[in-house]
Amino acid sequence: MSIVAENINLTVDGETYLRNVSFELPNEDFFIIVGRTKAGKTTLLRLLAGLEEIDSGSLTLDGDDLTKMPPWERKVGMVYQQFINYPHLNNFENIAFPLRRAGLPEDKIAEAVNKVAAVLGVEEFLEKLPSELSGGQQQRIALARALVKDSKLLILDEPLVNLDYKLREQLREEFKNIFNDQRERLVIYSTTEPAEAMELNGTVIVMHEGEIIQIGAAEEVYNRPANTRVAEVFNDPPMNLVRGVVEGNRIHLNQDVIMALPAHLQNLAAGRYTFGIRAADINLKPDAYAAEVQLGEINGSETILHIKLGDISLVTEQEGVHQYDLGASASVDFDLNQLYVFDNNGDLLFSPATNSSFEKAMQDQEKDN
Amino acid sequence: MNSSGYKIFKFVFLAFWASFVVAPFLWALTTSFKTINGVTSGATYIPWVDYEPSLDGWRNVLGTGSQGINVIEPFISSAYVTIGASALSLVLGTFVAYGLSRFKYRAGFIRNGDITFFFISQRIMPPVVLSIPFFLMLQQLGLLDSIFGLILVYIALLMPIAVWVMVDFFNNIPKEIDEMAMLDGCSPLQTFLRVILPNAKPGLVVAGLFCVIFGWNDFFFAFTLTFTETQLLPVAIVSLNSSATPWWSLSASALISIAPLIFVAVLVEKYLDRGNLAGAVK
Amino acid sequence: MASIDLKNIAHSYDPTAKDPIFALQPFNLHWEDGGTYALLGPSGCGKSTMLNIMSGLLTPSHGQLLVDNKDVTHLPTTQRNIAQVFQFPVIYKSKTIYENLAFPLRCIKMNKHDIDRRVKEVADLLNLTNILSKSANSVSADTKQLISVGRGLVRENVSAILMDEPLTVIDPQLKFELRRKLKEISARYGHTLIYVTHDQNEAMTLADQVVVMDKGQIMQMGSPEELFENPSHMHVGYFIGSPAMNFMNCRLSDQGIHIDDHFVPMELEGIADSAALNMGVRPEYVSFSDTPVANSVPAEIVEVQNLGKYAIATAKFGNQRVKARLSGKSKLPSGATNLVLHKEHMRLYVDGHLYSAS
Repeated sequence: MSIVAENINLTVDGETYLRNVSFELPNEDFFIIVGRTKAGKTTLLRLLAGLEEIDSGSLTLDGDDLTKMPPWERKVGMVYQQFINYPHLNNFENIAFPLRRAGLPEDKIAEAVNKVAAVLGVEEFLEKLPSELSGGQQQRIALARALVKDSKLLILDEPLVNLDYKLREQLREEFKNIFNDQRERLVIYSTTEPAEAMELNGTVIVMHEGEIIQIGAAEEVYNRPANTRVAEVFNDPPMNLVRGVVEGNRIHLNQDVIMALPAHLQNLAAGRYTFGIRAADINLKPDAYAAEVQLGEINGSETILHIKLGDISLVTEQEGVHQYDLGASASVDFDLNQLYVFDNNGDLLFSPATNSSFEKAMQDQEKDN
Repeated sequence: MNSSGYKIFKFVFLAFWASFVVAPFLWALTTSFKTINGVTSGATYIPWVDYEPSLDGWRNVLGTGSQGINVIEPFISSAYVTIGASALSLVLGTFVAYGLSRFKYRAGFIRNGDITFFFISQRIMPPVVLSIPFFLMLQQLGLLDSIFGLILVYIALLMPIAVWVMVDFFNNIPKEIDEMAMLDGCSPLQTFLRVILPNAKPGLVVAGLFCVIFGWNDFFFAFTLTFTETQLLPVAIVSLNSSATPWWSLSASALISIAPLIFVAVLVEKYLDRGNLAGAVK
Repeated sequence: MASIDLKNIAHSYDPTAKDPIFALQPFNLHWEDGGTYALLGPSGCGKSTMLNIMSGLLTPSHGQLLVDNKDVTHLPTTQRNIAQVFQFPVIYKSKTIYENLAFPLRCIKMNKHDIDRRVKEVADLLNLTNILSKSANSVSADTKQLISVGRGLVRENVSAILMDEPLTVIDPQLKFELRRKLKEISARYGHTLIYVTHDQNEAMTLADQVVVMDKGQIMQMGSPEELFENPSHMHVGYFIGSPAMNFMNCRLSDQGIHIDDHFVPMELEGIADSAALNMGVRPEYVSFSDTPVANSVPAEIVEVQNLGKYAIATAKFGNQRVKARLSGKSKLPSGATNLVLHKEHMRLYVDGHLYSAS
């Protein structure tokens, strides 16, 4: 089975939801759509489920037109952002619902429901109504119902976004294991958080304003973002992007911030470029470039500093929890080996030679083994 | 706000209100056991003490007394008309309401809101305006003075209520539940019957109750569209009112006419609990 | 602008019951004038009850609320001069942004000239100056929320601003901007700001002092650093930081603690034999070594997860599973290795509470 989309467009009341969307999704894989809100993620997922119609383009399943197929014939499992369960049925019947529709015998249904309930840790709630459960538990029931049936396609539309962050952390870890066991079907998961995509570790589809802007393995997209948009969307905090000029062997970001071209950029011709560097690759270091702290933010176990180097606004990231006053001064240095270069259209020209210290570490490790 | 002054005020107010509501019932109840002497000899309340109770009033209206005024037949006719019209209104109205809640219709300038308004507008006009067209239509169809004709007319009156209540109810059920059901293998009709209707039960009860109350209590159309063959209960009761009104029979028949509504109200009381309505869909 | 004291406050929704259930356990808090505070906890932890007590929607069953040492426990919301910003932007859709900001001032019948001055000041602060004449309905969600904040700020006599999950509906990317704005506002205006949130990042970023709540109890109030480095309760260690603090169950022995076979020398006193002991250590303070070193224990790597900018390695020794957060610059461990537990970062928890030598 493979789903092929070609040049799909969808506009509603003058607002573009999807623009020239094309992709090919092979069977038995795990895709993660990453994009900001309103990037078109939900629309695309609903399209695959048969809940949305398209204006132009084609969507086929093994060559057959999929747009003519109503949702109840598609064998799709879906989990929404909101916790959607059947309010009048208890949780056992909620999970059993698609199996009953498919006409399975009673003993098979009980077996399947109990099995999936055990995987998701909801056995003890089966006799209760969904409204008696917490948000996280309700979402587990919804996921159980999507997993229990014999579907070819499993769609999860930001399933964790409405949960408390600790619960998100926990479910993300469970999801990773569950989806890795779902190799017989196509799983498509959407999220706004790149870290979630990295953790779940599948093929990433990056969307922005209704368009697909990159498709690739999570690490590949992380290491080689196709353009500045991907660099922003697929990094949290977004990658720092600074316009600069290359003259001789030097990069001029402004009249004060001038740096030598690092080794991997020796072939860069003179001219104007956009340079990209991750927040984590700008380090606090004494006697380097003087900066002013605009804001310190704490994110999990990291501190994100918004700084200004003259007229350049940058974001840096440090491990641990630290507090900074607005306007405090700091001294920062760039890890130039991690510098990305984009042309004036925003497309990637050069990425770091050894893309991240991680990749290098991983490679070293493989060599060691 | 829970000071004792407030509590006392609340109690006194509710007691006053309750007596205001319950008094007419008690009045009708005692009167129904009186004879002509009990009625004309001033205000009397307590049987055996104030007056000698008698079952004449009840015997009369049940057709076994000397005066032979029978309300059993009108009662049955009223039941046919009310149940028939309410059931059909509820079925049709629920389908209409689901459509209005879930699909977008457009015909020229007409949108969903206009259609909903069209249904409700049926209740805005004074009944008198409708009576002549209804009369002429039933006449053409040869359905004047018949139970079936009345059912048709009552559907026109009751369905807007059902639509109005149910549209609101369906709008409160997330659309995603419909979608989920379709993805789980239900066709649109199955989705409606298996998932949406069970969740709309409290709404159906409310809409049904309204239909039954309005249908059962209607006097105007029951009066204008019937003559000799068919008589509904409200008309039968009013026709008791003459130069020598048998107040005891009138009271008995009034109680008979109220009884089914009380019975229905008690039956569905648990569905009218607000918590139940809110808890069904969240 | 005002200091706020919560004195012996407790709340039960049914205080006359024989055994009342407290939605909020008794507590005392003192909040400084001009400080920024956050109430942090999962839903149902009591933070909404506390918010309602402060805004005046709820009268606590016990205790007093003092604003600038004045008892306001029984004053209605309108007389408290406490502005409130809700989870969802509350704006008048049919009006312009200017009119939205001016509305609270028109309600108190301020003269036109002063209204104009205040609206422009606030608009300037929030970068709304250029779009003041736009319809409030035509702008994005974060701008709408900014307008709600502006409406809270526009009155001059506001003593404190309560914000109930103000960033919930805001796109993660836009949160960045809005957070910066909120921080700026608190620095510039010096209002006492109180955030209510379930999001630790928001709480730690926006507030100088974070009050961690759970099940109607205040677990800890402290600066973000304190909460991170010295969680006073296991719950705080779990709730603050991502991934959470590692906890290893352990047992008391002579002159120290045994974590399985690993011995940590510690001087301890006053710990009951029956107490449940847990050793906590943040994943940031766990490292690996190829060869045995001081404070190391032989362990095996179960899983390594590369998240791009950092990796999470899970190691196992005895019955313990320990997560380590490794920076991008370090070498990733595999197979059999040695887990290094730095003693200065180990925290002992006795029945859930942080042990401190008295």
